Amino acid sequence: MDQSTETEAPDAALLVAFANGDPTAGQVLVARLGPRLFAYAARVLGDRAEAEDVVQEAMMKLWKIAPDWRQGDAKVSTWMYRVTANLCTDRLRRRKTRGAVDIDSIAEPEADLQSAVEQMTEKDRADALQGALDALPDRQRQAVVLRHIEGLSNPEIAGIMDIGVEAVESLTARGKRALKAALIGRKDELGYEHG
Amino acid sequence: MNWGTNMDSNKTEDTALESLFDVARSNQPEPGPDFLARLNADAVAAVPRPVPVKKTREVSIFSRLKTLFAASGLSGAAALGIWIGFVMPDLVAPFSMVTEDTTGITAFMSDADFSVLSE
Repeated sequence: MDQSTETEAPDAALLVAFANGDPTAGQVLVARLGPRLFAYAARVLGDRAEAEDVVQEAMMKLWKIAPDWRQGDAKVSTWMYRVTANLCTDRLRRRKTRGAVDIDSIAEPEADLQSAVEQMTEKDRADALQGALDALPDRQRQAVVLRHIEGLSNPEIAGIMDIGVEAVESLTARGKRALKAALIGRKDELGYEHG
Repeated sequence: MNWGTNMDSNKTEDTALESLFDVARSNQPEPGPDFLARLNADAVAAVPRPVPVKKTREVSIFSRLKTLFAASGLSGAAALGIWIGFVMPDLVAPFSMVTEDTTGITAFMSDADFSVLSE
C-alpha cells in the first residue's frame, strides 16, 4: 500500500496492511487515532502523563490483535475508544476517592450561568469546564466527553461503554445538569460577580 | 435567575454550557511530538514478522518419496523402451527416425557398421 493510498484507506484496511508487515500503515493509524484518544483520555483522567500511558497501552493492544482482526466486526476507532475507556476506568478506580460530585447533593444554584460564562476568558472557560468535568462521576464524565466534546453519536457511545442508548442519554443528561451546577458553584473562583 | 424552573432559563443554561463545549472542542489537549514518536516506534517494533515455514518430518519424507517415485518412473520407462526396441524392433520401426538411406551418416562415420540398420 503506497503512502497516498494509506492516508485515505479505512482504519480496518490499514490494520490488515499492518498485520501483513507494513509499518507505515501502523504509523498512519497512530497519526489518525493517537491524538483523538489522547485528548479523550486527558479529558477523562485530567492528567496528561496518565493519558499518555493509557493511549500507549491501548495502541499496543491494537498491534497485538491486528493479525486476528476481522474486517466488519467493529470499527477500529470504536474498539480503540472502548479499550481506552476501560483503561481510564481502571485508573480512576485505583485512585483514592476524590470527592466526586453527586448530582443529588448539589443545591439548586440561583446564579445565571450564561452571564458567568460571558465574563470568562477563553482559558478560564476551558479550565472551568475541565474542573467541572473532573468533579463528575466517572461514567457521566466519559459519556459527556464522548458526546459533547468528541462528538460521537449515542449508539457509538453505547458500543464503547457497553451500555444501551437510553443509558447513554441518561448519563449525558445527568452529566450536563451536574456540570451546570458545578460551574455556577465556581462563579466566585472564576471572578464572576453576581448581579 | 433561578435556572431549571422554566424552559427559557434551561435554554439559556444549555447555550452557556454549549459555548463551553465549543471552547473545549477548539482547545483539545494535544499529544507532544515525543509521545507520538514513541507510539510510532512501538508500531514499527510491533509489526508482525512473516513466520518462515518449517518443514515438518512428514513433509520432508513425503518430498523424498516423491522424488524417488519420479526418478524410478523415468528410468523404468527408459529401460522398458530399450527392452522393447531389442525384443520387438518391428513394433517401434514406424517411429524410428532412421531411414534406409544412411549415406548422410556414413559420410561422417566411415568406420561404423550400419548393416544392422538395414536389416
